[in-house]
Amino acid sequence: MKSKIWTIVSMLLLGAMVLSACGSAAPEASTDGEAFTTSTGFVCPEPKNKMEVTSKELNLFVWTEYIPVEWKECYEHVYGVTINHDEYSSNEEMYAKLSSGSSAYDLVQPTDYIVALMIRNNLLQKLDKSKLSIMGDLDPKYMNLPFDPGNEYTLPYEGGLDAIVYNSEKVSAPTSYADLWKPEYAGKIVLLDDSRVVIGMTLLTLGYDVNTTDEAQLEEAKAKLAELIPNVKLFDSNSPKTALIAGDVDLGVVWTGEAYTADQENAAFEFAYPSEGTIIWQDNYAIPVNAPHTDAVYAWINYTMQGDMFFLMLRDFPYLNPVTTAMEFAKANHPDIYEPFANSNITNPPAEAVTAAHQITDVGDATTLYDKIWTEVKGE
Amino acid sequence: MLVSPTLVIMIGLLIIPLLLTMIISFGRRDPDGGVIYTFTLANYARLMGYSTNCDTGAATCFDPLYIQILWKSVTLAFQTTFFVIMLAYPLSYFIARSRPERRNMFLMMVLVPLWTNFVIRVYAWMMILRTQGVINGFVGWLAGLLGLPFTPIEMLYTPGAVLVGMVYEFLPFMILPIYTSLEKIDNSLYEAAADLGAHPIHTFLRVTLPLSMPGVVAGTILVFIPVMGTFIVSDLLGGQKVILVGNLIQRQFLDARDPTFGSAASLVLMVMTLIVTYFYTKKFGFGEEIVIG
Repeated sequence: MKSKIWTIVSMLLLGAMVLSACGSAAPEASTDGEAFTTSTGFVCPEPKNKMEVTSKELNLFVWTEYIPVEWKECYEHVYGVTINHDEYSSNEEMYAKLSSGSSAYDLVQPTDYIVALMIRNNLLQKLDKSKLSIMGDLDPKYMNLPFDPGNEYTLPYEGGLDAIVYNSEKVSAPTSYADLWKPEYAGKIVLLDDSRVVIGMTLLTLGYDVNTTDEAQLEEAKAKLAELIPNVKLFDSNSPKTALIAGDVDLGVVWTGEAYTADQENAAFEFAYPSEGTIIWQDNYAIPVNAPHTDAVYAWINYTMQGDMFFLMLRDFPYLNPVTTAMEFAKANHPDIYEPFANSNITNPPAEAVTAAHQITDVGDATTLYDKIWTEVKGE
Repeated sequence: MLVSPTLVIMIGLLIIPLLLTMIISFGRRDPDGGVIYTFTLANYARLMGYSTNCDTGAATCFDPLYIQILWKSVTLAFQTTFFVIMLAYPLSYFIARSRPERRNMFLMMVLVPLWTNFVIRVYAWMMILRTQGVINGFVGWLAGLLGLPFTPIEMLYTPGAVLVGMVYEFLPFMILPIYTSLEKIDNSLYEAAADLGAHPIHTFLRVTLPLSMPGVVAGTILVFIPVMGTFIVSDLLGGQKVILVGNLIQRQFLDARDPTFGSAASLVLMVMTLIVTYFYTKKFGFGEEIVIG
């Protein structure tokens, strides 16, 4: 009798732990010229620049669902390198792990504002451009941005806008962020659970800069944002499209890719670029300072960013695509993927929407102020 | 020498991390979110309501924000524990009084859902509570049959949904200890009570309930403490609009990049939980009777 309850409790805890053991044999490097087909039926293209790789492993630390599955199979086949794949769901999570001294990773995908912070804290290493054969394929629009002038540390991966998506059958069309405050949208809005985006968009409606550190302006934004909360049904940065598709909400401020997926599910979803100018972001490839397998990671970057590989991003993650050869390749060989992408104003935004967009940068000490406003507005 | 493995574990996994948390909580945040090691009580002052950016324009003022969040978490923990006891007691009673060969099956039915990842079970609740979810779908269908007008009830992303999720999550942790103490009660006690002419209600109030209290006490400790620090339920079912102290702490280590304030909040939460548990166990004990008995 003595320990019956504790036996049950510990059994219960043990049961809750799911042990997954994945045994995988080291992949063999291809030697013959024979084409390799992935488990999804994709024929791996030849690497345009086959590099010398002696490492046996490559440790990726990437966003959840942000790498086409074919890339890994093709790369493992071509180079005989085993890929270890860790995921994160926020820049802060990745930053916390790297800044606490974890040095096992070879590749990360930081977003613009966190790049400057990582460079300042010596978490990234300078790229050796002599090893990068894809530099000429990258669209200059996405290069040389303020967070990394001259692209010394990063290469553009994908970008996107945080604009307004709405169900045109249920609500009238908003044209600006300021429209979200209208009483007709009460309880019908989903916003990204991102303090910088939501406070930033509130600042824009007041005519202030998205990256302001002025306390008076931020106080004003706080009061304004508090008025928006009754209209907001939920905050969600994991999968805001779900609440839209399920009909829990009728409009929201979400990433373009999420809006596109919602639109594919239900054509009633439309996309509006707010008159204040949208918030724009860009994810990047970067190599942590102590990356153990640099030869493998340069081979990965060159191989995945060649046009006949990177076009898969249009299929899986339809955001702004910086690889010009990927766009050309898709246009010529996969019109089924290219046409819907190019013809949608969600995935292919008008040029003026991109030029009018605002980029979020790190605000240093004011980060705590943003967080306090966020906690206060949501906590009341 | 037999104590040394215990000591090593205690020092390595409890004392040192706690000390580190304490040291960090007295530090200051640097602009990039690192820790400047110094000695300041600013983080604790901020938690207790000391503020330097005031609406009124005064230099300092009282800002109840974080106290309110702590208070909300405590209230929710009490509510959760109350509803869990209310649901778990009859269930445990039913299991304990059913035929012995069926008891294991019922216990398995309580335990098996726990083998599924908790987040997935919360997602199931999201599907149930949605505006166009299972409940609204069913009630709407029923109303349609009866020809009644029906507007979907808004259930998901409300504080009520958070409470439902919490009660659901912690129910098994209450059922098991109550069941264990009920099952131990000797049948002859019930017979004696009946022989002496006690009404079943009296038997329950004067025999069953007092003898099963150790189970309720142990269950309460198992439920109340984790509820105080949880944040996943309020994130998913509350639509991130309900901020509990668990959410607050999590945000400090990630989005706000302020480990010093996060550490201070963790310690305050721990001390509060200790105080509540201390007074509770002083009055009721740890429910050790069912462990030792």
